[in-house]
Amino acid sequence: MSPLAEVKTTRRGLFKAAAMAAVGAAGSGLLGGLAPARADAKGPAAPPFESKFSVCDMCFNRCGMIARVQNGVVVKLDPNPKFTKSRGMLCARGNAGVAQVYDPDRLRYPLLRDGGRGEGKWKRISWDEALDIAAEKMRQVREKYTPSGQLFTAGADMQSEFVSRFAEVFGSFNVTSHESLCLLSLNRAFLDTFGEAPYADVINSKYVVMAGANRFEALVTPDSIDLMDAMQRGCKLVVLDPRHTKTAALANEWHAIRPGTDLAFMLAVAHVIIAEKLYDPAFITEKTFGFDELAAHVAKYPPAFAEAQCGIPAADVARIARELAAAAPASMVYPGRRSSDYVNSSQIRRGYAIVNALLGNWDKPGGLLAARQVGLTPVPADPPWYDDNQEDRLDAEMSPMLFEHDGSFVHTRDAVLSGEPYPVKGWFIFKTNPMQTAPNRKKTIKMMEAMDFVTVVDITMSDTAWYADLVLPAPSALERTDPCAGLQGSSACACVVKRDPVVGAMYESRPLFEIVKGLAARLDLAEHFAFTIPEYRAKQLAKLEGAEAILDRDGVYYNPGQVYGVYEGRIFKTKSHKIELYNQRYAELGLDPLPVYTPPSTVAEGSFRLVIGRNALVTQTSTQNNALLGRFVPDNSLWIHPDPAAKLGIRDGERVVVESKAGKGELAAQVTRKIRPDTVYMLSGFGTLSGGLSRIKGKGASIAEILEDAADALCGNAAMHETLVTVKRKVA
Amino acid sequence: MKRQFVAVCAVAALVLTSVSMSFALGEGNARKGKFLYRKNCRSCHGASASDLSPMSKTQAEWKATFEKTDAIACHDKWPADMTPEDVNDIFTYLHDFAKDSPTPAKCS
Repeated sequence: MSPLAEVKTTRRGLFKAAAMAAVGAAGSGLLGGLAPARADAKGPAAPPFESKFSVCDMCFNRCGMIARVQNGVVVKLDPNPKFTKSRGMLCARGNAGVAQVYDPDRLRYPLLRDGGRGEGKWKRISWDEALDIAAEKMRQVREKYTPSGQLFTAGADMQSEFVSRFAEVFGSFNVTSHESLCLLSLNRAFLDTFGEAPYADVINSKYVVMAGANRFEALVTPDSIDLMDAMQRGCKLVVLDPRHTKTAALANEWHAIRPGTDLAFMLAVAHVIIAEKLYDPAFITEKTFGFDELAAHVAKYPPAFAEAQCGIPAADVARIARELAAAAPASMVYPGRRSSDYVNSSQIRRGYAIVNALLGNWDKPGGLLAARQVGLTPVPADPPWYDDNQEDRLDAEMSPMLFEHDGSFVHTRDAVLSGEPYPVKGWFIFKTNPMQTAPNRKKTIKMMEAMDFVTVVDITMSDTAWYADLVLPAPSALERTDPCAGLQGSSACACVVKRDPVVGAMYESRPLFEIVKGLAARLDLAEHFAFTIPEYRAKQLAKLEGAEAILDRDGVYYNPGQVYGVYEGRIFKTKSHKIELYNQRYAELGLDPLPVYTPPSTVAEGSFRLVIGRNALVTQTSTQNNALLGRFVPDNSLWIHPDPAAKLGIRDGERVVVESKAGKGELAAQVTRKIRPDTVYMLSGFGTLSGGLSRIKGKGASIAEILEDAADALCGNAAMHETLVTVKRKVA
Repeated sequence: MKRQFVAVCAVAALVLTSVSMSFALGEGNARKGKFLYRKNCRSCHGASASDLSPMSKTQAEWKATFEKTDAIACHDKWPADMTPEDVNDIFTYLHDFAKDSPTPAKCS
């Protein structure tokens, strides 16, 4: 065992490090760069430490941070005060990044399966042997099933672009990302309305309706911080959520909406705004397409309709519509992030987009903003062409509005299992965990079993790695050289970040880039990876003069581009070149060009709708097994209202069994009035199968095991709030 | 393979019809078009000449451009072995990932 694995990351240690950091910050002029820290001459001699810029990897936000390194060991992570996307903040998960580096359960060397799949028997092998085996298996899959017989799946990592590059030069069309288990319905809806997925200018908004988002717990930077600032300056927040989340608790209004009825609310708001002519007629005429069709459509959805569906009084629906319009254009229906909820989530979010269009808030302070120019230059590959290949992606025909770059994990899995339209028998996975994040885990296990060979690259033995044939250890983000990434921070910034190693790679871990480079060399594809990451970064930064030096000095580079009025004189990137209230392409495809309300499935007496989420200490499974975060959230529980709990004889803290058609799980009940009686809630990230995660093994229940699989009808995004469950007391 | 069969049919159809007929735009192989665009076009349009990508134009603009390929400034520099089918594949790629397409090409 490496001695570094035994470094203790106790809270006391962190506090001591924080004190040292404070001394360093005061003494070394932090804002002027990262000068070496010196001990205060008058005080006791503090051990010297170095400060190095990095970028957090505990969730997708990628907040800038400064690592304090003492004797080659990371002792503390602090926010980078110059990083405006996070408003100079590093959250609890970011602080706990130290425990990820020194997690004693980290993968240390390549492991080859030496027993049944998922049995947990492994054989340690050398890197040369591991890469030889992985490459040979890929070659066999390519020869037998064409290049598209190999599936590639990568998480939201700064090296994931090398997985896509490798897939492209290997010749596979089949690449899936985590996005189809998360936010594609949202992107689909706004792309098909505004021509792009927007960023919410929360900080300048005067009125925010937040439906299906929990921004004070499920943090998104800068939105979470900005919402608090905006509210302190008088912004009104209205939350629609079946749960009394922390966001609901801090809101001006909380409405415990019936799950799956948000579209009825949005259509009724549109009804009021149009019926009472509360919109800007010049904006509507100049910028939108299909207003008359929308007006006729929403005439069917008065506030009373919303009341019947959502359980929110009609008078409140009408009032909220009027208040939104009165604050326009500095008001919004917050677009949200994870929208993997229902089979019609794209159309639900179209409802959000349409209300925003009626508010005329596009490209304006306090409204929805277009992506800003970051300025990075893409570094494309020159992949060969393989005549002996399939026609298209495996899931190409399974959704009418599929995203080519992301695909649909749920549909891809079904296609793998059916073998139609063609067999896929190899799977390469980098730092994502579909065994825990995709609905219907039993199906994912079957998908694993249907594969000839599965290679997983990760930091720890995730459930997905546990079921693989070959597991390759990757260094954590603090040990790597990463390419530049462009980040969008709403009105706060558009910026570039990069990563250089804060400490050396631990154990035998190798970065993904080196792994695909090694595979490419063995598959006669070396020419496509004949560069180093610093060389790659230089190409990315070719049009940003001086950016590299600024990145070294500040840890972040800002492109001072235009924030508002970006669309003046520009077309909207839709078919009509206007904001499409009425979507013409949907009409051509036989889809509803205006969102038609479809009620969610009925929740019968004795059953519940299961809703899921994350919180400020948990990012799905990427934070699981973390020594620090585990102290605050050691387990998940089932939120259940006291009324049904009493009927079922369930008391707070008792073990319950939650069961759906897909599977079941056992966890503690949290009897609380913070949830509707017809709904139960579980936190993601628990109920693991892996024997390589000692801190979390056997704790809580897995959402993936219980959720049934369904997909958005337009884009194939997972639909994870369609599952109905029963709840029973655990009988001893 | 199915793709090869389709290609053979396409070539046969070409031979059977007049070589001078204008090639119907669209319904080509966008994936092949991406490869051909990178192979034949990006050497100029990726760096020194106008920096084109699918996102540079709308679908209508790509259609208008490819309806009169003779009028494209660099037309006389196109490789001699580029077939009408190749051109259509390139058009299909540029058109299907245009800035106003349902799935615009990704950029940073």
